Amino acid sequence: MKPDDVLERRLRAAILLARVDQDRLVLSDAVLGAAIAGRTPLSAGERAALAASPLTIRRFRQLVLDGVTAWRSSAGMLRAADSGAALTELVTDDGHWTLHFLAGQVILQLHAQAPFARQLLVEQPLLRVIDGAGAVVMLGRLDSDGECESAWPFAVAPAQHFQQAGAVFAVEALPA
Amino acid sequence: MRLPGTRFQEHGWEQVRKLLGQCSLTALTTGLLDDYVEAMSASLQRTGSRFDTPANSYGDTVRDLALTLLFELQARPRDWDAFIATLPADAGEALFRKKCNDMYATLRDKVDSDNYQAACGRPCSPNRIYAYRMLDTAYHEIARLCADWRGHAAQVGAILGRDIDAAPIEARQLQSIAGCRPEWILRWSAACAGPLDTRSKRFDALKDNPAKIGAMLQEIAEYEAISSNRDADWRLDSGAATDWLDDYWRVLAAPEESAPGPDRILEAHQEAIDLAWEAPAAALVEDDLAIDVGASVSLPPGFIQMARLAEDPGSWAARMMQEDGLPVRLAVYAKLTGPDDEVYPDAWRDPATGALPTMQQLALLAGVSLPTLRKRRDAAIARLTTAARP
Repeated sequence: MKPDDVLERRLRAAILLARVDQDRLVLSDAVLGAAIAGRTPLSAGERAALAASPLTIRRFRQLVLDGVTAWRSSAGMLRAADSGAALTELVTDDGHWTLHFLAGQVILQLHAQAPFARQLLVEQPLLRVIDGAGAVVMLGRLDSDGECESAWPFAVAPAQHFQQAGAVFAVEALPA
Repeated sequence: MRLPGTRFQEHGWEQVRKLLGQCSLTALTTGLLDDYVEAMSASLQRTGSRFDTPANSYGDTVRDLALTLLFELQARPRDWDAFIATLPADAGEALFRKKCNDMYATLRDKVDSDNYQAACGRPCSPNRIYAYRMLDTAYHEIARLCADWRGHAAQVGAILGRDIDAAPIEARQLQSIAGCRPEWILRWSAACAGPLDTRSKRFDALKDNPAKIGAMLQEIAEYEAISSNRDADWRLDSGAATDWLDDYWRVLAAPEESAPGPDRILEAHQEAIDLAWEAPAAALVEDDLAIDVGASVSLPPGFIQMARLAEDPGSWAARMMQEDGLPVRLAVYAKLTGPDDEVYPDAWRDPATGALPTMQQLALLAGVSLPTLRKRRDAAIARLTTAARP
């Protein structure tokens, strides 16, 4: 970016963020987050309320800087060579999600330390886990503990299934 | 005390307050906010290096925080008017410093309550920040007494609610504010006619509410724990990262199909503790004194030509302020993004200071009086604001 562009952007940012008296937060984190992530657009009234509240624009900026709203998907892979033992869990490469396998069930767990954890617990988007072939392993929403459980949908056991399906998987949010 | 987003609540505040009071003694000459801000800005930049020590755990120096608060004052002319309105014409130094102190003390809580809301998305008021600080101070006082329980057995007994004849186990367990129980705060205040037991209504919302006190103590503790090893992080106002602007413009652009249902706009959320206190409203002071522009412009010859060459005529700002002339445009930059942003071209800077020219220098360059330059600057800012906020 040219210095002139940086200068212009700073000027525009300073104008948008200039404080006004009696300001307050006019949109919730969930509403702002869904708009930033492109899931639910703001209505005309909400856009006007945001534009008139520098404090809410500051909150908007903070959410963008934190990256909490940017989460769309996390991917992982089957790491260990097949040792013959049953697969008990898989963790995404970013470390924010674990898939647990037990007794014919699969449980998706969001780690509390994930930067987007609070946001996802508030928003409860529909989540999907897919394997390397694109087949749906599970579909659901997190409960208040940050977990989602369903029956293992395939005939073969998890270790064998993921090996046959490219040894990778992904957790992703579906658009609302 | 640290809370999300706050900058002015730690140990260095005393120094910041003193520096602002000291510089204000000579900077307040006319009663006009613009005069005061310009004189203060120059005065704060001239002070010695002993004000370059950190005043909070983010590494902001005493001088940084004083300049930041001065910058915030610019945006709150009502606070300034209230200050001027209650300042007696013949105020001595002690009274002047006290009034000055009150203004900045109020302002820091306003700014930090805004910062808190932006940082964590929860509503907050200046009075709530004040209440957090009162509880933090009370905890430190209780911890001090407990640490020396032999010397203060009666007081420690009153706080813990039982007679003390051996080392109280609570005192040994009191490692942080997380271990401080709300009942102790209530009993401590009752025993010493403390902040919860005065006639002031400021903390009425906490007086019979240990659950609320407990929740606030826990919040301070949790944030101090997670922020204790955090690196300096001034991104809130650094302006360095403006990527969020693209997200903002995208979100504000009308979507092809709008969201169904009613607008999801939050109600104003105020609890008793947020309402307890409001700064007194004051009459507006119109004090349009003629200013003596005595200072000479010591800018190098040809400054204006060189500065114009360094400007991008196609930029949004240049186009929006095409009619205003370069001195007005530089005055706008100085007010909105500060006198010394590293992005400014060298040709815009006064070689003597390394910063943009002062308002007086710009007024002389423009061939107008200082009040006229300010009016043109503020009119240009109003135009930019209208254009930037659809």
